[in-house]
Amino acid sequence: MSEILKVRNLSKGNILKKISFEMQEGEMIAIMGPSGSGKSTLLYNVSGMDQADEGEVLLGSTEIVSLSEDEKARLRLSKMGFVFQQMNVLANLNLIDNIVLPAVHANKKQKRELYQRAQALMDDFHIGDLAERRVNEVSGGELQRACICRSMMMKPEIIFADEPTGALNQAAATDVIEAFLKINREGTSVLMVTHDSKVAGMCERILYILDGEIKGELKLGKYTQDDAKEREKRTSRWLNEMGW
Amino acid sequence: MKKRLILNDFKANKLVTISTCIFMAASAMLLGLSILLFGSLSSSIDSLMEEAQTPDFLQMHTGKIDEERIAFFSENRSDVEAMQISRFLNLQNSQLTIGGNSLINNMQDNGLCTQNHSFDFLIDAENNKIKPNPGEVYVPVCYKTEYGLETGDVMQIGTEKLSVAGFLRDSQMNSMMASSKRFLVNEADYERLWPLGSEEYLIEFKLKEGSDINAFATAYEDADLPGNGPTITYSLIKMMNALSDGMMILVILLASAVVLFISILCIRYMILTQLEKDKREIGMLKAVGISRKDIRSLYFSKYLLLSAIGGVVGVTAAAIVAGPLGTQIRELYGDAGNMSLIYALMILGSLAVEGIILLSVYRTLGKMEKMSAVQVLYGHGDFGKKKNLYLPIGIITAAAVFMILVPWNIESTISAPEFVTYMGIGESQIRIDIRQTENVEVSANAVAKEIEQDDQVLDYALMHTGSYKTVLPDGTSYNLMIEKGDHSRFPVRYIEGRYPDNVGEIALSILNSKEMNVNAGDTILVYKDLGDNLAAPVSCKVSGIYSDITNGGKTAKARFDTFDDKAPVMWSIIYLSLKDENHADTWVKDYQAKYSSLNDGIKVAKIADYITGTYGQTIRNIQKAAVMSVISACLILFVVMLLLLRLVIWRERNDSSLKKALGFTSADIKEAYLKKTSKYLLPGIAVGIFAGIVPGQGLAGVLLSSMGAYGFHFIINPIAVFVIAPAVIIVAAALATWVSLKEVGRIYAYECLRAS
Repeated sequence: MSEILKVRNLSKGNILKKISFEMQEGEMIAIMGPSGSGKSTLLYNVSGMDQADEGEVLLGSTEIVSLSEDEKARLRLSKMGFVFQQMNVLANLNLIDNIVLPAVHANKKQKRELYQRAQALMDDFHIGDLAERRVNEVSGGELQRACICRSMMMKPEIIFADEPTGALNQAAATDVIEAFLKINREGTSVLMVTHDSKVAGMCERILYILDGEIKGELKLGKYTQDDAKEREKRTSRWLNEMGW
Repeated sequence: MKKRLILNDFKANKLVTISTCIFMAASAMLLGLSILLFGSLSSSIDSLMEEAQTPDFLQMHTGKIDEERIAFFSENRSDVEAMQISRFLNLQNSQLTIGGNSLINNMQDNGLCTQNHSFDFLIDAENNKIKPNPGEVYVPVCYKTEYGLETGDVMQIGTEKLSVAGFLRDSQMNSMMASSKRFLVNEADYERLWPLGSEEYLIEFKLKEGSDINAFATAYEDADLPGNGPTITYSLIKMMNALSDGMMILVILLASAVVLFISILCIRYMILTQLEKDKREIGMLKAVGISRKDIRSLYFSKYLLLSAIGGVVGVTAAAIVAGPLGTQIRELYGDAGNMSLIYALMILGSLAVEGIILLSVYRTLGKMEKMSAVQVLYGHGDFGKKKNLYLPIGIITAAAVFMILVPWNIESTISAPEFVTYMGIGESQIRIDIRQTENVEVSANAVAKEIEQDDQVLDYALMHTGSYKTVLPDGTSYNLMIEKGDHSRFPVRYIEGRYPDNVGEIALSILNSKEMNVNAGDTILVYKDLGDNLAAPVSCKVSGIYSDITNGGKTAKARFDTFDDKAPVMWSIIYLSLKDENHADTWVKDYQAKYSSLNDGIKVAKIADYITGTYGQTIRNIQKAAVMSVISACLILFVVMLLLLRLVIWRERNDSSLKKALGFTSADIKEAYLKKTSKYLLPGIAVGIFAGIVPGQGLAGVLLSSMGAYGFHFIINPIAVFVIAPAVIIVAAALATWVSLKEVGRIYAYECLRAS
């Protein structure tokens, strides 16, 4: 298995201090830490949404930090997927149009195929019958799953998720995290910032950030339904040790 | 999908979409309209002057004429294409009645003429050369609406009757600003009616293409040919023709500039507010990898579409509105001929306006490029400072007041009695003209004597005008028409210096000062007429420069005793004021009655009527433009305020909801909005009034200097400026505020709780 992401000495103002870590292809990593520790900033800088001051980020063989805004945008469009805590969608479009938006933008000629793929993804995530609904006509969980579908449209190598369950109730959060596990099982790497220890416990690895530095790392291995309870306990204990 | 996104955005933001479209349409319409009217006016005048073959040089002359000498001069000049001497039989206005209307109050020199043979033709509505039959008369088209005339009406000259067979277009004298009007009759009728008037000559020259008109004018003067009357050139005729409607077009052009400014400002604010509203969506688009250029182009396409719709609506509206506004142009000057070029120019102009707006849109949209995805997505930044949406209300109020006041002030200035002083006419209540009579000087002196003994008269001044020769520094001779008299009594407006107060002083009209290259303080040599072809030089110091459009605009003024000589008097004017101005109408009527029976070429008129007679067309046109300005200004202000207040209410919705949760009523919140709006509206009105008077005057000065009124100051109507204009604006603003603030009633206390 090869590295999909390699972060070296990444710094941003006083928030991130020379952070380094690697991520393997198909891995699912959670980033945890108290509020203001730099979790989201790390995610934005690694994904090229924000401009780091120093350091390097290699996505496969492409160094991201030195790219121009437009080059980064192209990279995000073709190789990355994003899911946010707030379900950022265009209010003027229905659900399926929102899902295909970036993909159609990148590939205008295959519109029909893209809509078919979007419908298939929606079916996979149990929101197939909501395709034509307006965004204000569906629940938060359904909308977030639509956002996951959107992030999967371009078959990205990696998905960045920032508190994807933060704004959802327990039932909706479970649906969403299952969706992430499903896409990870199918081979897509996931780097996720979360506050939820239960969600973090389902990831392969957890990085704990405090004051802009990685203070600890917990390796849990691939998630299976059988060791769910055990993982939750280990995670909880470890987080206690880290001062969570 | 782009289409759907744009269409859904239109549906979601109807007010902003419609307003943007209105601004784009209004800007395109006003500029389009200016171009269309200007194009048709200019093209109509050109085609009229071409069809009628207007002379390049025209010398009016009263007195004897030596046709052979003129013909000799003409034949020996290589630049002359054709020459003709046209006769003009000046009639007494008091003797004239057309269609039952007496012309006694008409200030024009009305007279008969016959159709010319070589050029300067009088033509009908279809540009055909008119050939009247015996007993028929063709009346100047400008009288058609003024007196409500129709074909078949009767024109009476004393006891003689002619039947109005139609209306004529006179390429020289169509404009009311030209002081003479020609009525066309058959040659036999002319000869028959000849004893009823006094004859003048129009010595006309058509020059070869590319000839130097100034060189020709100098040569004519040097040849000592008849020159007892004003000299008029092709360009002066064209200017006179263009002025009465041109002023209206310039006012519309001014309005279109103001509207363009307002549109750009408003659209910019709308975009910035929209971007603020869409910040998270833009952030999302950036985050998922859509490039800055593509996001900008997504927004830009929306404005491109709106601009296309606005442009089409604007051009169509311009074409529709141009109909009624161009009625007078068509009536006076005929159809413009080939309109396709004018329409093409109008479309180009409208495209240019849309281009300017879109350029500003594109630049404004650039603001969103400066921020990273994270900044917009998580609200870490703004598109510049959060915009104070009340500020544009203030600025646009000022612009709207300005837009209303400038045409109003121009109109009130031209209608004011003092305005004549910018035109070279003394400010008095009554003016008496003594012209076309056997001995002007004797008649004038007799009238003056009678006036002196009239108890009702407070003050009067008698002026005699004669033609004098002067020599320019380069040795060429130059004809000066000098108005002699006491110029301190009813002075005209001096741009520089003052009236000639001492013997040996002379004041020059600005056109003469420019042409002669002489300024106040300089000295010129003028030749006194000692009789028997003897002349003596008089050294005259230029005491002042004034603006004048009468008699071709080239005049001079001096005291009687400076030129106490034998020069024949071409015409005389008496300016007078009564002790009680209220008796002016009766006084004028009495004197008109007295002189009409004498048939001695004396015209008595109130200055106010003189203004209506001369500038009536222009004033009516400016009034039309002023009405359009008021409607546009109010409509724009209404839309802008409605829009901006809606945006403010939308932006502060959460705060208002919180206020309601804390116990504020809708009325409390509305009151706060009203106070804040007034804080910007009232200073906006004040700034607008100031701008409408001070910079507006400068701007109008540029427009009016084209009419020959130099050194111009607004004569404002204080009630209109300080009461009516602010009231109109306040009504429009209050209406918009009332409609906008209705939204406050639809904000509920629970909204803030739900949002948090």
